[in-house]
Amino acid sequence: MTRIDPGFASEITKYGASDFNACFNCGNCTAICGLTANDANFPRMFIRYGMLGLKEEILKSKELWLCYACGDCSETCPRQAAPGNYMAALHRYAIASYEPTGLTKLLFKNKLLFILFTSIMALVLGVFLFTLKPDHVVSRWIFKMIPYAVIHNMGLVIFTITGMSIIWGLLNMFLRLKSNKSGEAKKNSCLSSWKEVFGELATMKRYRTCDLEEDSYWKDKPAFQKPWFIHWSVMWGFIGLLAATLLDFLLKDPATTTWWPARILGTLAGLFLIYGTSMMLLYRSRKATRSYAETNIADNVFLWFLWIAGFTGFWMEISVFFTFNHPANHYILLVHTIISMELVLLFAFSKFAHAVYRPLALFYYFRENLSNN
Amino acid sequence: MEKKQRIGVYICHCGGNISDYVDVSQIKDIVKGLDGVVVAKNVMFACADSNQKEMVNDIVDQKLDGIVVASCSPKLHLHTFRNVAIRAGLNPYNYTQVNIREQCSWAHSDTPSEASEKAAGLILAGINRVSHSEALENIEVSSTRAAVVIGAGVSGMRAAIGLSQMGNQVYLIEKEYKPGGHIARWGEMFMDGKTGDEIISALLTKVKSDKNITLFTNAGIGKVSGSLGNFDVEVRISDEILNLKVGAILVTTGYDHYQPAIGEYGYGELSNVITLPEFRELLNNCGDTLNYQNKKVNSIAFIYCVGMRQTKGENKYCSRVCCTTAIHSSLLVHNKFKSVLVYHLYRDIRTYGKQEVLYEQSSKNGDIYLKFDEKIPPKVSNSKHRLLIQVKDELTRKQDLELETDLVVLVTGLVPGKDTAELAGKLKIPVGNDKFFNEIHPKLRPVETVINGVFIGGSCQGPKNITESVQSAMAATVKINALTKNPTIQLEPVIARVNFDTCVWCGKCAEVCEYDAVHPLEMYGKTVASVNEAVCKGCGICAPVCPNDAIDIAQYSNAEIEGMIDGFSEKVELKESAESEDEQSAVTGAEMKDQPQLWLRISASLQKESKTIPALVKELDVPANVLTYHLMTMNKYSLVEADGMDDSDEYYYYRLKNIQHDQN
Repeated sequence: MTRIDPGFASEITKYGASDFNACFNCGNCTAICGLTANDANFPRMFIRYGMLGLKEEILKSKELWLCYACGDCSETCPRQAAPGNYMAALHRYAIASYEPTGLTKLLFKNKLLFILFTSIMALVLGVFLFTLKPDHVVSRWIFKMIPYAVIHNMGLVIFTITGMSIIWGLLNMFLRLKSNKSGEAKKNSCLSSWKEVFGELATMKRYRTCDLEEDSYWKDKPAFQKPWFIHWSVMWGFIGLLAATLLDFLLKDPATTTWWPARILGTLAGLFLIYGTSMMLLYRSRKATRSYAETNIADNVFLWFLWIAGFTGFWMEISVFFTFNHPANHYILLVHTIISMELVLLFAFSKFAHAVYRPLALFYYFRENLSNN
Repeated sequence: MEKKQRIGVYICHCGGNISDYVDVSQIKDIVKGLDGVVVAKNVMFACADSNQKEMVNDIVDQKLDGIVVASCSPKLHLHTFRNVAIRAGLNPYNYTQVNIREQCSWAHSDTPSEASEKAAGLILAGINRVSHSEALENIEVSSTRAAVVIGAGVSGMRAAIGLSQMGNQVYLIEKEYKPGGHIARWGEMFMDGKTGDEIISALLTKVKSDKNITLFTNAGIGKVSGSLGNFDVEVRISDEILNLKVGAILVTTGYDHYQPAIGEYGYGELSNVITLPEFRELLNNCGDTLNYQNKKVNSIAFIYCVGMRQTKGENKYCSRVCCTTAIHSSLLVHNKFKSVLVYHLYRDIRTYGKQEVLYEQSSKNGDIYLKFDEKIPPKVSNSKHRLLIQVKDELTRKQDLELETDLVVLVTGLVPGKDTAELAGKLKIPVGNDKFFNEIHPKLRPVETVINGVFIGGSCQGPKNITESVQSAMAATVKINALTKNPTIQLEPVIARVNFDTCVWCGKCAEVCEYDAVHPLEMYGKTVASVNEAVCKGCGICAPVCPNDAIDIAQYSNAEIEGMIDGFSEKVELKESAESEDEQSAVTGAEMKDQPQLWLRISASLQKESKTIPALVKELDVPANVLTYHLMTMNKYSLVEADGMDDSDEYYYYRLKNIQHDQN
């Protein structure tokens, strides 16, 4: 017996779901969805869970993460219940529920708090970064107030909290997924399941089955404009930049020759990241489809952060390459560092976290052999 | 009675529909030689206006006293050829239709020779029947310009006003002290937001001020006798008995609410389980807070289909108004007490038509809908201070769910009024399996009963909302007025007739008559059976039980029936059709196929305006029979349709039907 929790629906609304109460359970959304597999039954079943407040059903499901929130279902919903947006809201809800601090809940649900939090963080980071330059006035002043060791240790603590949060979140999700065994179905091996996960990340094979409907907005658009490719660009752009940064960090001092492979990788990845995030922001500002029109501020800011990080990073790259010394460069580097730090620090507490949750869900999905064939 | 000596027989090809299988020309030759047959013809389309005109001419010129048309089902063209007879001055009952299409060529297309044999038999039977047929005239009965309306609910009162407006004297009979039925107590209603009381008060004011309407309250119906046009209705008001003479009776006795059994979802056992009408009363009488038994109500669970749609139980039907009523109630609750949580435990939601907006609103309000299966109904039990409901939700993978609520409302449906059976006995009108009054035909004669002059309207026919109730009651008023507006009523003459010479009144016919149409009558010093012409339906059940053979049915007399049997059992020798192909029809067939593009020319010609066959013949310069063939084929395939007759009532105009067709 599961107790119905009627208050849950309004809770989900705070994460950005609009009129999903209008749903009358026809199941058009599930029928139209290219991703819902044999027994998966989303989005309809998830709307049901939301209406009745069956929280555990949501949190222990891998199906939730099979959805890319493309919005096909919102287009065909006869009741304008926007199941696509609802699924996106559930992603936020899950991210907020998995991590232990409760910070994500506050940030996702409260617009003002979110703006305040990110601004203060940027300010603190900015001040801190100024202090790293001995020729700045602030440094003398701040070290008088707080000893260097304290600042250094505080930084370590914050990074640890962030790291622990995402590990805790993953563990949380992992235990729930494990508890949710679907029958005695034959399982695929771990290795082949991970292979499938990487295959999906590399090719976006599943994402490509979205937006195939005859009257879909994306149907006749060229591949490079389609959401799956944009998503691919952002994802691999970011991973590429991360790899380049790590290579730089491990192999040499930064800001040296441009012929180093890490350099090429970084440049290429940066271009993809800027292209992808620009397109996403463009679609959002143009409200290309309903799923772009209705988004959450935290998600938007996350995207802006990615774009700014990409753009400022690229600017620095160009400046170094052409030895182009502009007085603004200093500040641009500052902005780049602040935003990058925020992205990393908020990893567990923002949309960014889906980058680890989705692969884990996909792994369990492929392992249980529920694929679409 | 003399057999007819001048009979005309028309055997139709139906453009090949019949003649491709039935050897119509050979049958025509056989018929031609029969005694009494003076005209026997094959026709391409008997229903074509050119042929109708030819038939009229034949009847007049040849002084025909009976006609047989062997073509399609009488359902299609009985009245077409009755009208042909009337136009030619022949009594329409001296015409017989024989169905050789549906019953022969279509049914036996695999065995044409047997189809022909059967067709020949049926045609001979038809000829024998018409040779014994009688000219009949419609029956006329007198009528009183007054009606009794039983039941002064919303339907009854609205019907009474309608009847009065059309000039009828109306006697409105209500068994309760207060008119208005259940509606008066119902409170605010969808869609106009008016309360039941407001609707009823408005109607009652009109009824009371109308001098044609006499309202009797606290009144019951006693004996009812008489028939269409002249009913005698006894009305009892306490000890007083009134005798009313009326032309027709309208029953609008309404419904009752289903009363749950003790223990049904905890009803009568758990204190917070009530029915929908009880909840409405609570809602109408509550002030600023929704309290039940002095406790604040924070959540309500409606359980739907209580006592209804029972696959194994007595009430198999859907009451159709309860979903809307329950959801509307939940909206009223929501509008007044925002914080009250509403659950709906349903089997199917049927807020049909405009009422769907209520469902939409309710789900937008955040009401929770849980769908259960009839076989696994929700369980209601006590839980501390509230009620616990356990339900298997069909929409959530049949998960076992539970919820707590302060109040359970059983959404009960509608059942027949408790006096329905008694009244049905008095009026001799039937009730259906659902125990509501039954109409003759649910679609085509929705307010008439098997008793002429007795009509039903409103929810005594079955569950209806107010709109539908008033619609059916108003339909009945128009039907009644059509009967009472003239001093006499015309009735079909196909009824039972008694031969007073041989009748000895054994009473067997009266026993079997389901309509109570046969009564004893003193005549010429003896008792005989007499048939009430206004009541008899011509069903024929009395004829075979009469030991003296003293009853027959008009159009189905012994002579006619026996003649038909003789005709059908006559041995007909038909030659194999291959060699006996009629030369003329072969030529005709070739001629038809000569002009395969003719229908294109016809449609081109009809593009601008409708035309008659002679006009088309002239314009397109083709033989009339060829043109008729093609036009009738086009008619069959719905490419053209008749468009009224010409000024001299001789020819039909034909026009193109608005259909896109490929011009290739």
